[in-house]
Amino acid sequence: MSVHRPTPHDSARLHVTGAARYVDDIPTPAGCLHLAFGQSTIAHGTITAMDLTAVRASEGVIAVLTANDLPHANDVSPSIHDEPLLATGTVHYVGQPLFAVVATSHTAARKAARLAEVTYDTKPAILTIEEAMAANSRFEEGPRVYTRGDASGAIDASAHVIDGVIDMGGQEHFYLEGQAALALPQDDGDMVVHSSTQHPSEIQHKVADALGLPMHGVKVEVRRMGGGFGGKESQGNALAVACAVAASLTGKPCKMRYDRDDDMVITGKRHDFRISYRAGFDHAGRVQGIEFVHYTRCGWAQDLSLPVADRAMLHADNAYFFENIRIESHRLRTNTQSATAFRGFGGPQGIVGVERVMDQIAHHLGLDPLEVRKVNYYAEMESADGGLSAPRAAAPLPPESILTKKKQVTPYGQEVTDFVLHGLTADLAARCDYEARRVAVAEWNAGSPVLKRGMAITPVKFGISFTLSHLNQAGALVHVYQDGSVALNHGGTEMGQGLYQKVAQVASGVFGIGLEQVRLTATDTSKVPNTSATAASSGSDLNGMAVLAACEALRARMADHLAAVRQGEPADVVFEGGLVRVGADEMTFCAAAKECYEGRVSLSATGFYKTPDISWDRIKGNGRPFYYFAYGAACSEVVIDTLTGEYKVLRTDILHDAGRSLNPALDIGQIEGGFVQGAGWLTTEELVWDDKGRLRTHAPSTYKIPAASDRPKVFNVALFEGDNPEATIHRSKAVGEPPFCLGISVLMALSDAVAACGAAYPALDAPATPERVLKAVMRVRGDA
Amino acid sequence: MYAFDFEKPTTVAEAVAALADDEAQPLSGGQTLIPTLKQRLAMPSKLVSLTGIAEMQGVCTNDAGQLCIGGATPHAVVAAEAASKYPALSALASNIGDPAVRNRGTIGGSVANNDPAACYPSAVLASGATVVTNNREIAADDYFQGLFSTALEEGEIITEVRFPVPQAANYQKFVQPASRFALVGVFVAKFADGVRVAVTGASNDGVFRWTEAEKALSANFSPDALNGLSVSADGMIGDLHGTPEYRAHLIAVMTKRAVAAAS
Repeated sequence: MSVHRPTPHDSARLHVTGAARYVDDIPTPAGCLHLAFGQSTIAHGTITAMDLTAVRASEGVIAVLTANDLPHANDVSPSIHDEPLLATGTVHYVGQPLFAVVATSHTAARKAARLAEVTYDTKPAILTIEEAMAANSRFEEGPRVYTRGDASGAIDASAHVIDGVIDMGGQEHFYLEGQAALALPQDDGDMVVHSSTQHPSEIQHKVADALGLPMHGVKVEVRRMGGGFGGKESQGNALAVACAVAASLTGKPCKMRYDRDDDMVITGKRHDFRISYRAGFDHAGRVQGIEFVHYTRCGWAQDLSLPVADRAMLHADNAYFFENIRIESHRLRTNTQSATAFRGFGGPQGIVGVERVMDQIAHHLGLDPLEVRKVNYYAEMESADGGLSAPRAAAPLPPESILTKKKQVTPYGQEVTDFVLHGLTADLAARCDYEARRVAVAEWNAGSPVLKRGMAITPVKFGISFTLSHLNQAGALVHVYQDGSVALNHGGTEMGQGLYQKVAQVASGVFGIGLEQVRLTATDTSKVPNTSATAASSGSDLNGMAVLAACEALRARMADHLAAVRQGEPADVVFEGGLVRVGADEMTFCAAAKECYEGRVSLSATGFYKTPDISWDRIKGNGRPFYYFAYGAACSEVVIDTLTGEYKVLRTDILHDAGRSLNPALDIGQIEGGFVQGAGWLTTEELVWDDKGRLRTHAPSTYKIPAASDRPKVFNVALFEGDNPEATIHRSKAVGEPPFCLGISVLMALSDAVAACGAAYPALDAPATPERVLKAVMRVRGDA
Repeated sequence: MYAFDFEKPTTVAEAVAALADDEAQPLSGGQTLIPTLKQRLAMPSKLVSLTGIAEMQGVCTNDAGQLCIGGATPHAVVAAEAASKYPALSALASNIGDPAVRNRGTIGGSVANNDPAACYPSAVLASGATVVTNNREIAADDYFQGLFSTALEEGEIITEVRFPVPQAANYQKFVQPASRFALVGVFVAKFADGVRVAVTGASNDGVFRWTEAEKALSANFSPDALNGLSVSADGMIGDLHGTPEYRAHLIAVMTKRAVAAAS
């Protein structure tokens, strides 16, 4: 039984030896052609003329496609069909694809793409939040508002009131493998597409529409991606569709991959946010009423911006119970890349907003921010024996007031029944010696005029499920071959997170066989149809359950047959340790498979899973959008140089709730990576557009992602082990996105360090580059 | 990249002759020029490699006690060989770019290019070094003439840079973390007859001397001597990595750090 064991990633050896195959590594048939897009050089305007003569004449060019050359749908939008593959007269951002060059090599295509002579009638571009608000340039008819109680009245009636604004930047995905696709024309007009995508079914759907084929005419295969992070949920559509159309028109295999600069300029990124807030609270910091206004730049097309902005609203409470709350959300349409999914999907932005409020309340009252967070926590879940869940380490019980609280409901109407942050936070605080170290930091700061340290614990409560409820389904296909080897297929995609390994562990557990007998095969729309994106952290939850269902069906068929032959009971057949026991009879699983085959038992089964008990009305803002919540907390300590604003993360301790972990090694890897990526978002990763709407940070020479050497020098990550109260796959919890939010502890620790410089509140924006930290220091000292 | 001819002479004289052609351009380590060519931002008819010229390689000390570095000497060689003779210069060289840049890029190439964010110009100017070319010697104060602009004439080659070795020196670099270029770099050098302070990365005019600080430090070589001194943000670079005000602020801090480290 390999479930819950820390086995290595199934492709670890291939990854580190360079043998793992990505789209661009697939050997192509002879005559493969290569594509590149010609791109808009202005942010907004109409095309008055597009002279492609020089492009067509360029060496190696086979064809040049414009919108007029497309045989069927000209659309790569994942939502409301507002995103043409190739521009149709109007351009909406710098980098927008205008035409596609099909050439004999990647370089020939790229060279030719630059030779177009395009003239525009330039129009004013809407680039900033202010410009978009002034022009009422937005998606949906007006702001979405979710509200409960009377936030404004409660704030006004409070003993203390704060308000403020925080800006947080977007984030480039920076998957190591850029966007790529390869289309192979098939018999009778069908198309096979290899795509670096998190969403093969959507690629299939968009390609089918572009070719005028039913979905059964298109097969999409994904073995793995070199990172996705949400950037391959919809952004791969353009490449796959362009390749398929070109392949269909030329009859040749067609391949496309973005150069890194093109990738950064063309594709969408994390939504940047501005959040303004007002909160009223009592002397203990307990919030009486709270208001948020979210502004986010969605870019030029809708893409997934509505659910992203929704999820930001759904995480505006993070771990805190607010009786009176109002959240207003503006989804602004701007002449920039169409912002898209990125690990956390708006959740982290919403959480940063409320964590800022907690930090500022504590500063206002002169309290430890952790105390303020704790008094606002939701009530701890009740355990099966009617009491509170026992903290899993020697941790103090939650305060008395918590014990008397009733079940609490989120602002959007979902009961919080699984809250574990009281115990988890206490456990983390004890592990990292929080209280003593805070005292030590204060003493150290008192004697250190130039360098200042800061510490913060921030929690995360993250809702697990797609908020578009019908996406919460998955299918699987499992074969047992007559030699006892098992092949699995499901709709989830592998992007380095270890999904395949976790699912293989589930299957090996059902059959009682070793992992070496189980093979996960490339995700393939012809094996499992109608799949959801591998997104929303749901990969293992959904696909693990679908594979479990298929494996259990097969095991039952095998047990029925093996028992019937021996006049035994199917329920008494045991699959364990590579063996199958039927009464006194024992055989290898391989022998059992052969016997079942010869007994004419069907050894192939599909499995299906849909998440139970969820429902959600996004317009009303009410329901149970999430099956459960995943929790975690991080404590970070930083030191800043008050002369320059430079800083280091000295130590981070994390305790994270992955339920009963399917694979602790993979989960800890996800938590470490998520934290580092989250901290990068809030510190070094800065996207800069100029006043013409051109992205100036489009390469690693200008955009700084964290490297391995940027992780905290002391980095302790542990799992808060315990069953998920909901009946998830082996009681595990999703782990992809929630730990991303733990990086917020670094921003809050920086705020704490800046606060040590003077009396005013730091109000530190993100990314907290050294220059922003220095400005905050000057503000706090009153010499800005 | 556009097509070009390529020559790799073995003597300075041959190189000078080869560079006499119109549109010929010298190529040293190529760490700036090759990317420029790839972007098609330059179209030389001919590249003349300077890395095969033995007399332009290596580090030695002359009779006057100056550290003489051949123009085609890579940063990594300077880092290794200057370590005992001019530690501050060695430290500067060891922290330029990444290993590829340090093992290909050369001092002559960097000084000839005079990128406003390059490290070497600050060492040359702060040391009062002499830039030696195939036909003359140019004092550092006369050599740097603004952004990417120097006293070099067409076809003139930097064969050597001669550094007087200061009593104490230090280079402080505030790294732009993505590119590892200097957002601000300050080189402080203390000689018997005074202190020189050169600043790179910050100004729209490229490397410059902060004379006010030099005066104060010449009177009293200690960080406290800089108290109250500041640089105006006028003329400082403002770009996606930092405002003019931030750069001006960093100059004062980096200078203090350099003095503290050197004294």
